[in-house]
Amino acid sequence: MRNRRLRIICALVACCALVTHFQTATRAQRNAIETYAITNARIFPVSGPFIERGTVVIRNGLIAAVGAQVVAPADARVIDGTGLTVYPGLIDANTTLGIPQPSPSTLATVAAAVGRGGGFGANAAPSPIPASAAFTPNMAQPGLRPEVLAVDLIQPTDAQIEAARSAGITSALVTPREGIFIGQSAFINLAGETSQQMIVRSPVALHIGFTPLRGTGYPGSLMGVFSTLRQMLLDAQHLREANQIYARNPRGLRRPEQDRSLVALFPVLAREMPVVMNVSTEREIRRALDLAEEFNLRVIISGGAESWKVTDRLKDVPVLLSLNFPRRTAAQSAEADPDPLRVLRERVDAPKTAGRLAAAHVRFAFQSGAMTSPADYIANAAKAIENGLARDEALRALTINAAEILGISDRLGTIEPGKIANLTITRGDLFDRNTRIAQVFIDGQPVELRPATPSTSSGARGGGLATGTWTVNVNLGEGDQSITVVLQQEGENLRGSIQGALGPAQIANASVSTSGELHFTVPITVAGQTTEATFTGTITGNEMRGTVQTVGHAPGTFSGTRPAATPAATPSRTPSSTQPNTPPSSSNNLSGTWTLTLALGPRTVPGTLKLTQQGSTLSGTLQSPFGTTELSNGSIGADGFRFTTSADVSGRTVEMTITGSASNNEMSGTITSEIGSTTFTGTKPERQ
Amino acid sequence: MRKLIAFVLLLSMMGAALPVAAQTQSSASQRRESSAQETLIRNATVLTVSHGTLQNADILLRKGKIAAIGQNLKASADARVIDATGKYVMPGIIDCHSHSMLDAVNEGTLSVTSMARTRDVLNPTDPDLYRELAGGTTTLNILHGSANAIGGQNTVVKIKYGRPIEEFIFPGAPPGIKFALGENPKRSNFQNPLLPRRYPATRMGVEEVIREAFTRARDYKSAWDEYRAAQKHGDKNLIPPRRDLQLEPLVEVLEGKRLVHSHCYRADEILMLINIANEFGFKVRTFQHALEGYKVAKEIAQHGAGASVFTDFWGYKLEAYDAIPYDAAILTRAGVNVSVNSDSSERARRLNIEAAKLEKYGDLTEEEALKTITMNPAWQLGIQDRVGSIDVGKDADVVIWNGHPFSVYSRVETTFIDGEIFFDRQQDLARRADIQRERAQLEQAEPNRAPAQGGTPPAFPRGRRPAYTDDDDVWDGGNDQR
Repeated sequence: MRNRRLRIICALVACCALVTHFQTATRAQRNAIETYAITNARIFPVSGPFIERGTVVIRNGLIAAVGAQVVAPADARVIDGTGLTVYPGLIDANTTLGIPQPSPSTLATVAAAVGRGGGFGANAAPSPIPASAAFTPNMAQPGLRPEVLAVDLIQPTDAQIEAARSAGITSALVTPREGIFIGQSAFINLAGETSQQMIVRSPVALHIGFTPLRGTGYPGSLMGVFSTLRQMLLDAQHLREANQIYARNPRGLRRPEQDRSLVALFPVLAREMPVVMNVSTEREIRRALDLAEEFNLRVIISGGAESWKVTDRLKDVPVLLSLNFPRRTAAQSAEADPDPLRVLRERVDAPKTAGRLAAAHVRFAFQSGAMTSPADYIANAAKAIENGLARDEALRALTINAAEILGISDRLGTIEPGKIANLTITRGDLFDRNTRIAQVFIDGQPVELRPATPSTSSGARGGGLATGTWTVNVNLGEGDQSITVVLQQEGENLRGSIQGALGPAQIANASVSTSGELHFTVPITVAGQTTEATFTGTITGNEMRGTVQTVGHAPGTFSGTRPAATPAATPSRTPSSTQPNTPPSSSNNLSGTWTLTLALGPRTVPGTLKLTQQGSTLSGTLQSPFGTTELSNGSIGADGFRFTTSADVSGRTVEMTITGSASNNEMSGTITSEIGSTTFTGTKPERQ
Repeated sequence: MRKLIAFVLLLSMMGAALPVAAQTQSSASQRRESSAQETLIRNATVLTVSHGTLQNADILLRKGKIAAIGQNLKASADARVIDATGKYVMPGIIDCHSHSMLDAVNEGTLSVTSMARTRDVLNPTDPDLYRELAGGTTTLNILHGSANAIGGQNTVVKIKYGRPIEEFIFPGAPPGIKFALGENPKRSNFQNPLLPRRYPATRMGVEEVIREAFTRARDYKSAWDEYRAAQKHGDKNLIPPRRDLQLEPLVEVLEGKRLVHSHCYRADEILMLINIANEFGFKVRTFQHALEGYKVAKEIAQHGAGASVFTDFWGYKLEAYDAIPYDAAILTRAGVNVSVNSDSSERARRLNIEAAKLEKYGDLTEEEALKTITMNPAWQLGIQDRVGSIDVGKDADVVIWNGHPFSVYSRVETTFIDGEIFFDRQQDLARRADIQRERAQLEQAEPNRAPAQGGTPPAFPRGRRPAYTDDDDVWDGGNDQR
């Protein structure tokens, strides 16, 4: 009996031991996956001297060891680093990576917003306007919301993030895209399923830009921008003080009215959070510094092309220096004025700035400055070296300096035990022209690299899977209805419009994936009733098909085609299968006077387009409610025509891009601009 | 003991080092001194503006001031001596209405933008400034545009081209603000068919906007007065009123601390603003343009306002039709302080000719005509004790002309501000070759070379700067009113 019990106990213990053994084994196995050792590599730890031949050990997402004498642990996956150079993961110190483009508002919404937000100025109401309405910046207005967090906007699947990684950038300071009070940035690692996984630190800083608001509301000028910044900072000071007084003794006091935007400025006023100001020229920088002094802000300059002219004021002000250097992009036209000396100088000075800042002991880090090709990031750092910056200073500006300025040098920026294992590994020296990024580690994990493809995100000129004019049949259960869908693809975003039986209307929330999954919403009009419709489908070559969801109707279907001449895919990928971009035959010459109908919100407005086509170039004038303006950059190809023009809208110059297609004596297309977009149709008399 | 010796040694070393440091410091300050050195302009015809024309006179400029005027003046050994035989010297021209060096002219979104400050958007590198110096202009009244009834705050600057912006600001010049009446604030000529109209749309509305704004300013002032009184009374548990940057400048106007410069054309609206000013107890300092000022010259004189006008420029819109070139003369005869302004970076280069025309229209004397671009605008800007005439003790803002400034054949030789040269014709000519050389070198640099292929197509110039600009379509991309 006793014996038996003992036996059971023995068996139990054995079982336990076995289980424990298994557990250890699995943990060891997992450790084996998470432990890497890069051996025999050249190593720039940045925190210490260069190691000609050494080993970096990564364990559990962190750097475990680094040095010439370090031995790879037995459980590590060993990467033979012969011929490789290991750097701390490169940092882009100010970007909008992963932040979606705000959808362009239509002119109608802009006009509506003006009626609402203009306050004292815009309102013709007979009743006296309350004093507060006169000049309280409209807090609901995008662009004046310091409480906006980049973290809430990041899309981890953004293709740009992958492109940046492939260019060797492992982490970045990410900010919302635009505004005066742009919002608060996050420092993220450029790998992760969710934005929460990516965060290294958030919020990092408040970002301020000096571009007047779009549309026609206050502030509409640089002067107003400064007044708005000043008033909101004063209001925040006032609210903070009022809250303190009220907290001491609320009796006998009206409680201060709270405001999220103003509360978001408290850490900035207390110097707990730095303020990053986007400024480039000398006078912009001086103005920003003056404003920072006025409110005792902890300022960081971002952009800073001419910061070298202001070094006397930058002893305690770091600079996030843009590597997006200006350069001449096209031959000087004979008709154009020659570039001013100032512009010529700016282009030549830009790559010299980094060296000049280093010589003046100004703290700086590099940022990409909205460059379109991430591969230029390292290439332009190399240009800074050619223009007088020491190599080790350049490396610091890409790593530890950024980490220090952004308050994360305790976890990133160098190859030191205990820091986050972000590594950029190259074949060849980082700054050599022929260097390739061999491997990137983010959070201790190797990341798959995609070789850079020609940028399609700058595809304002057309291209992309979806761009073009589609003839689409929509079946909502009552027979086919024919519409024309004009699409313009930029990256994964789409713009465009529909015309015909269900339109005209603007599409919204539109996207197309690289594999051709299409999605957009659009208000459609059926039997005089307008409802919101959601189109979901796929694009294959010159065909699209899918389903339409509408409120109050059974789900419908759609299918459409695009004229075969339109390239089915980006020409760069399948050059052989693409038809040459020949201009249409002379019988289809667009020259002449077109009578246009422009859709402006609920109204339609007439216009006149006078075109002269010579080969594949277009010129002429556009007469619209904005006046008569000259066309520029006009071209016509197989996928339609395109030109730009600029008009004066309510006291500012607005650049408009017009795209569309024409056949015989009819045309249709889209006008896009910063203040909104709209569609148009046009006709031309048979004989002219 | 050893420590003591070391200490003594250290002391003696410091002692040795100290004078050296002091020396370098003094040589640096000497250098600064000599760059703003004494200048003796000899044997010139001097148009003093305040006390007639002096023949064969010398002017001594020292430490930024006019130190002496007379004959056979002596200067220190290292003084710059300029022989001005056959040449004319006059005070630097003051332009009482300029939009040069502004990165933004109008905050036109609201009808009251008194919170907008031109000081925030000045561009000290604007090449127009250099051209104005070459026309003998030294001081500018930088005004907000005329898109709204109450516009933004002005800045009075000396054109210290090439210096940091801080050095431009005219020290001690009283602050001012732009108002505008008539077609611009009611947006008669700038209506966008797509946008709702901004209030106001009539002259009545303009008046109402101004009255309403000053009513609010008065309430705002009393809110602060009450708060301060309660504070003085010993009340501790108080939340101060919110600071309102829109109303603060208007309170300053009510307190007589800020000068009102109001854009206007018609006689009725001039009277309207005088009435509002009387109602609220402030003074209008200048009526800008005032093309119909001649019709109400007596009332303007009575109010104590100045008028800053064009000599013979009108007809560019309906409210600018009833103008006559005798406007300045009639106003002057009525006792109004009259200046002639440019409102244009182009006209600002030749204000001397604008003033000269007044001798023809209405028979102003030479000195009266000269005053319209010197003494009178100085008074209108409240800087008459510093600039506007050639008098001992005034700022050394003087201009040497190769002939009488009222001749179309004359041109500026040298422009001084605070005794320093900011334009010199000979230096300018000498520099041109260097600039050409620099341009040629820059064009060769890699970032200025066009890419072999690709790139964006060449952009054609969109808005070419017209040679002639005026009150209502001064070039700024072609979309603004000033």
